[in-house]
Amino acid sequence: MSAVTKAGPATPAGSARPLSKSRPLGDRAFALLALVAGLLVLVILVLIVVSTAQQSTSWFSTAGWSGIFSTVWNPATNQFGAMAFLYGTVIVSLIAIIISVPVSVSIALLLTEVVPRRWAQPIVYVVDLLAVVPSVVWGLWGIIIFVPWVAPIYASIASGVHGIPVLDSLFGSPTAGASFFTAGLILAVMITPIITSLSREVIATVPQTDKEGAYALGATRWEMIRGAVWPHSQGGVVGAILVGLGRAMGETIAVALVAGSSAEVTSHLFAPGYPIAGVIVNQFPEASGEFRAALIGLGLLLFVITILVNLTARGFVERSARRMRGTS
Amino acid sequence: MSVVSDQTVDLREPTNWRRTKNRIATVVMWVAFVATLVPLILVLYTVVSKGVSAISWQFLSGSPIPPNIMPLGIGGMGPAVVGTLIITGFAALISIPLGVLGAVYINEYGGKGWLAKFIAFMADVMTGVPSIVMGLFIFTIWVLHFGYSGLAGSFALACLMLPIVIRSTYEMLLLVPNHLREASYALGATKSRVTLTVVLPAAVGGIVSGALLAVARAAGETAPLVLVILTVEATNTNLFSGANTALSTQIFVNAQSPYVGAEARAWGAALTLIVISFLLMIIARVVTARFTKYTR
Amino acid sequence: MQLRGSKQAAVAGGAVAAAIALAACSSSTTSSTSAPAGGATTSAPAATTSSAAALSGTLNASGSTFQTNFQQAAISAFKTVQPGMTVNYGGGGSGAGRSALYANTVQFAGSDSPIPAADKSKVPAGKTVLYFPVQIGPISVAYNLSGVTGLKLDATTIAKIFSGKITTWNDPAIKALNSGANLPSTPITLAVRSDSSGTTQNFSKYLQAAAASAWTLGSASTIDWPKTAHAANGGSGLAQAVKATPGSIGYVDFSTATASGLSSASIKNSAGSFVAPSPAGATAAASHVTPAADLTFSTVDEPGADSYPITYQSWDLVYAEQPNANTAAMLKAYIGYLLGDGQKLLTQLDLAPLPASIDSAAVAQLDKITSAS
Repeated sequence: MSAVTKAGPATPAGSARPLSKSRPLGDRAFALLALVAGLLVLVILVLIVVSTAQQSTSWFSTAGWSGIFSTVWNPATNQFGAMAFLYGTVIVSLIAIIISVPVSVSIALLLTEVVPRRWAQPIVYVVDLLAVVPSVVWGLWGIIIFVPWVAPIYASIASGVHGIPVLDSLFGSPTAGASFFTAGLILAVMITPIITSLSREVIATVPQTDKEGAYALGATRWEMIRGAVWPHSQGGVVGAILVGLGRAMGETIAVALVAGSSAEVTSHLFAPGYPIAGVIVNQFPEASGEFRAALIGLGLLLFVITILVNLTARGFVERSARRMRGTS
Repeated sequence: MSVVSDQTVDLREPTNWRRTKNRIATVVMWVAFVATLVPLILVLYTVVSKGVSAISWQFLSGSPIPPNIMPLGIGGMGPAVVGTLIITGFAALISIPLGVLGAVYINEYGGKGWLAKFIAFMADVMTGVPSIVMGLFIFTIWVLHFGYSGLAGSFALACLMLPIVIRSTYEMLLLVPNHLREASYALGATKSRVTLTVVLPAAVGGIVSGALLAVARAAGETAPLVLVILTVEATNTNLFSGANTALSTQIFVNAQSPYVGAEARAWGAALTLIVISFLLMIIARVVTARFTKYTR
Repeated sequence: MQLRGSKQAAVAGGAVAAAIALAACSSSTTSSTSAPAGGATTSAPAATTSSAAALSGTLNASGSTFQTNFQQAAISAFKTVQPGMTVNYGGGGSGAGRSALYANTVQFAGSDSPIPAADKSKVPAGKTVLYFPVQIGPISVAYNLSGVTGLKLDATTIAKIFSGKITTWNDPAIKALNSGANLPSTPITLAVRSDSSGTTQNFSKYLQAAAASAWTLGSASTIDWPKTAHAANGGSGLAQAVKATPGSIGYVDFSTATASGLSSASIKNSAGSFVAPSPAGATAAASHVTPAADLTFSTVDEPGADSYPITYQSWDLVYAEQPNANTAAMLKAYIGYLLGDGQKLLTQLDLAPLPASIDSAAVAQLDKITSAS
């Protein structure tokens, strides 16, 4: 090992002496510090659950299971049903995923398979720029520029599909600029960078030999992607999509500004909605007593849902990574 | 393992239809990329064009933040700029050392043990915790007992930054070659010595750039701050007591105001925030390019 | 004008910075906290005198968002009167403000309605709440209908629209009031508030008073609106919703409606004339009001040919018994300012000043603020 014989890093004082049996105090202290720092992650996660659960018990006990999942949300009469907000979170996130996934995966494939290495870096930078724009700026642009621009477009689509069975219930009236769909659209733009970068990592682990084998057999690039890349990376890409879904569910400010703030369960995607994160950030400063407990309880629900989504996502990514290590 | 789809293998030139499918796929991929450019360009263009007319030294340092109804030119965003700097700064001060230490534990001390793997896994899961939940968390354990303050905001941001710093530091530490460590041990160094004087300096480029990206993300965070710092109009340089404000919360409040002056201030603040985030990102990339010894 | 404002702001900024530095160095924490331990509400060090001389310390307040513009403007202007004082007005809604007052985390609360009977028990024992009216203002019925200006409505029609009984703009009831207008067959989209609001409370109070049997949804700070209504957060959210949706109609305070560029309907008052919302109409309405002994009153549906019927008012609620002399002095100084020179700020905010008789009664009530020490 040449590193040992060369003039390596600064020799510690008294280097030839063996370490005493018990480690020096400084060393043990540092090890303890590192351990505490590591445990901090676990402590915080546990504390999140404990503190929010504690603060929201009054909501859980007063409302009971039927109350919690009812669609009636009326602070004046102390009725706090979470269904409309759960619905809002799920629908907005689904719209975001449906729009973002084809785009993100396409860009990931573009970067790994189509574009020469030299041009890949600039394209990555551009996609990462989407992530650098803070959420509140997306929201600001959304509410001031995008919402008024898109409102008449929704209205004309709604009048266009009036009467057609499924389309009318999805895209028909009532419409508003600030709606489920607008929030989903803006969220799609915001989660694209993360899905793209995670998908890229997954696709990059596909063994080169498989890809070359496909080309050698005369496959076009698209056929190679379908036949060699996709079977290997589908698990990981699904994991990436789930991470994006988790991100979309947790996104707060942009949806608070452009989702419409209307707690209704409706199939009309162009109507205003109210995801969980939106109602919490909008109404928390004014809330007290049981209202506040209900909002904290909503936060706990959101936490549980996003943790579950993230765990599933990591599971997919882990499994796919294990299979990768096996084959390469 | 079959590597070609169920079509029969054709060793001649691809047929027209196959070539067309390939071309369509390529076009679709490029269209997807261009499609993501559209909102990016629109937002950046709008923020720059509307924000530039608001920016001035008066805007960045003037105080207090005037009532929404006042037009541009009166007062400024000074309190918000100061708030963002001190709250984010303190959050970085707390979370970066703790994050680096946490990654050190996972990588250097944890070894193959289950605890290290578990912590690493949980750190990944923690990156997905919604920022509003962090805000609620800090509200329940800190604000309810000690009141609104910039410190509460720093804690919330630090909780958001911690898993990111752990993750990126951990990746960097993995890249440091083992022979460096082994050489140091061979010379009789203690583990802490090795970590502090050999491993961390070797990875410092990557650690710094990862930390800068975490700071950039924290500077733009709004939701937790809305809950715990209570947006005010006057500068509060005392981080530990009294409500405070920040650029992000100010933009959020102003975005909902109908007054022209408030809107103009929001665009100015948005431009300021984007410039700060971009600067941090650029510095991070420069640090990565120049100072990282070990890359993938 | 602008130069003076920015010079004012610079002086104010410097004074505030100095005051904040001073406050930061002092060891006592002010009650800008919401500690549920019902913490002390004292602030300033004991060295300051508590009379018309320079005061120092912090007043915290929250409550009605209807008052936010006025409070922000007054706080700004008040800095030149008492540079050593800092006043923070947090908004959050009348209900939140009252709750904060019961919990002793603010020194005064803005509220668009008196304390409801159900809450009377929440006022701490031995404390009397004083009502100081501070502003009057119109509630606009704002609409977005291209090609139609000067829309005229009356209470019954409004009640039916907001109950969902009238669903299109060319409904005969609306046509009857607007013979000259070209009303399209566009469906009416309602814009309402999703959060608890004093504007909602007073708007529904008007409908209850003036539309009688046509309005069945009651009067409260949140209403069970028809399912098709678009709810929005905050008055400006509602205004944004109306602005972005053609064919929509909503209720929002006049100042926000004007700032958002929305058209407001002229409403038929009890004298039979159609009055557009304006500060003058609000003042006319308020001039017919006789307040109760505690200075509570309602300006909704007042008589008089020039009165705007959907007018409302807001009070600052203060405990008569203050814990220390400095807080009492600060409250007297600031609320006295709101009732005095501050009233001049109101018209440029599209709000109306109090009628002289109510204002002087309120100023006289300031003497009721006492302190134990």
